[in-house]
Amino acid sequence: MADLTTNLGGKLTLKNPVMTASGTFGYGFEYHKFFDISQLGAVVVKGIAPFPSHGNPTPRVAETACGMLNAIGLQGPGVEKFLHGEEYMPFLRRTGATVIVNIWGKSIADYQDVARRLEADKAGIAALEINISCPNVKAGGIAFGTDPVLAKEVVSAVREATSLPLITKLSPNVSNIGEFARAVVDAGSDMISLINTLTGMAIDAETMRFKIANKTGGLSGPAVKPVALRMVYEASHAVDVPVIGMGGICTGEDAVEFLLAGASAVAVGTAIFADPYAPLKVIEGINGYLDRHGFGTVAEIVGKVHN
Amino acid sequence: MRQGTIINNVRLKDDYYKVDFFAPEICASARPGSFVHVRISGCGDHILRRPFSICNVNESGELTVIYKVVGAGTEALSRLKSGDECDLLGPLGKPFSRPLDDEVPVLLGGGYGSAAMFMLTKESKTPGVALLGARNSKDILLSAEYRAAGFDVRISTDDGSDGLKGRVTDLLPGVLKDYAGRKLHFYACGPMPMLLALAGLLPDLGYPESELSLDHLMCCGVGACFACVVKIKADNADGFRYARTCSEGPVFRADQVYLEK
Ligand SMILES: Cc1cc2nc3c(=O)[nH]c(=O)nc-3n(C[C@H](O)[C@H](O)[C@H](O)COP(=O)(O)OP(=O)(O)OC[C@H]3O[C@@H](n4cnc5c(N)ncnc54)[C@H](O)[C@@H]3O)c2cc1C
Ligand SMILES: Cc1cc2nc3c(=O)[nH]c(=O)nc-3n(C[C@H](O)[C@H](O)[C@H](O)COP(=O)(O)O)c2cc1C
Ligand code: FES
Repeated sequence: MADLTTNLGGKLTLKNPVMTASGTFGYGFEYHKFFDISQLGAVVVKGIAPFPSHGNPTPRVAETACGMLNAIGLQGPGVEKFLHGEEYMPFLRRTGATVIVNIWGKSIADYQDVARRLEADKAGIAALEINISCPNVKAGGIAFGTDPVLAKEVVSAVREATSLPLITKLSPNVSNIGEFARAVVDAGSDMISLINTLTGMAIDAETMRFKIANKTGGLSGPAVKPVALRMVYEASHAVDVPVIGMGGICTGEDAVEFLLAGASAVAVGTAIFADPYAPLKVIEGINGYLDRHGFGTVAEIVGKVHN
Repeated sequence: MRQGTIINNVRLKDDYYKVDFFAPEICASARPGSFVHVRISGCGDHILRRPFSICNVNESGELTVIYKVVGAGTEALSRLKSGDECDLLGPLGKPFSRPLDDEVPVLLGGGYGSAAMFMLTKESKTPGVALLGARNSKDILLSAEYRAAGFDVRISTDDGSDGLKGRVTDLLPGVLKDYAGRKLHFYACGPMPMLLALAGLLPDLGYPESELSLDHLMCCGVGACFACVVKIKADNADGFRYARTCSEGPVFRADQVYLEK
């Protein structure tokens, strides 16, 4: 049995390198019925804003070849309810799970507010993950994560608000991922995670309508894995901080590919919808791989893909 | 997740099939209105599960689903044979309430909705009324089974190919007349336009506590992804919130449903 303990740059230590991807595991509560969620490397909760939010009109999802599009629109309870509502943070604290809170906002001030509130009540919170793939309402709706200057500003603002370890989750909808990785690390991000979903579209030919009400949605699942692997590889060469890789991971072997490409840890998302136990199977799969190949720790294979 | 071995998978009529899974653990806690989320084997590049209402269960651990072939998932399901396995998650969702002894349950079903409500025939002490409506006679399901359970079955079709020519709601006046003086409790499951019409109608007729099963496109099926939401009235500035049909529903009270102005 290999040692799966994963040290992320001295800022965050996980039992194993497998997390859940934000938005695909709710707030942990829903899946605790299936297994003890404290077995996971970390539970990354659905995005939290300073305010409650309805999310988008329906339909919100459409299945596509080997993947799906979603435009859930960040429906959520808001930070106050998240901190105090029984099925959110109080529940998570009782489980003993390692909790990473994914945060978002519509302005830089929103991001700073939510980070400040979480900082003030941070018992049980291991780190924050900044979702910068949201539209900036003040800047005409352009996503923070597609403009390196905005991305840097958001991260600096959150950095001022908290001493918690910061992970910045990068948008793949850019042409030079390395530039964004460097920008957010310069601004004080301790780690980066990627990829968020790829913007896509689906149309029903028979009804001549968009399949999701928002017209565009984010593509995820096995269909995006080759793109995700390439971006993780590029980002991990651009910066020295730990990289958390995700995008289409379903099996231990998928996860190992991300580790070889340069990720220090991974997250499982869409695969959970098909199989709630997928994250546990990925942990087992990584362990099996390390044993089979005679590696004692996860770190031994990080970035070790041959040139 | 539990394996469900297929015992039988047969065509009922036209595009409708009936599949029996061996799934004793799910059967033990299945209730009318609850559903199973099925990972259909041999479904190619389709990665998501498909939700189906539990039509019936028995003591031998057999769970029955009635489904219509409408796309790739149901098509793949229709090709599975006895002995094949599917992953089943369930029973999921908030079910219908148990009919009270002094109530006459009145079920309004469109398409597979009549399957989703069938187990109410077992929980009800009083034989009830089953109003089955559809576009044409092909989509009328389980009328003989409801009759065998002692239910007063009335049918409507849009084209008049079976029963009354019209909508299932057109059957309501007759029921209200024939059962005047009895305590009625309404249950409904069917296409969304029918359910929204009932959400407008039943509270006005004096039945705000009527129960509607609002199914919607689902993804996780357990309340984690917020894909499957419908608008439910809420005490906030907008007057509504998006509730998850998979975990907070699929069954909602008629007077909770938020209707667009
Ligand atoms: C709680 C719940 C219970 C259900 N119970 C039953 C049942 O007992 N019997 C049955 O035949 N079907 C039932 N359905 C619908 C069933 O899940 C869909 O028909 C099925 O997922 C379609 O899969 P597919 O791959 O064959 O078709 P797809 O290719 O996914 O879709 C084909 C067409 O069906 C439509 N569709 C897909 N899902 C739904 C849905 N949930 N509601 C309405 N239209 C849909 C799509 O928009 C599309 O037009 C239920 C749905 C829910 C949410
Ligand atoms: C339904 C759904 C909801 C999501 N919600 C969020 C979210 O709230 N915040 C976020 O940062 N990412 C969100 N994501 C993106 C995932 O966390 C992940 O980055 C992406 O789906 C790629 O991984 P996967 O292919 O394993 O799902 C969501 C993805 C899906 C499918
Ligand atoms: S289907 Fe995921 S919340 Fe209902």
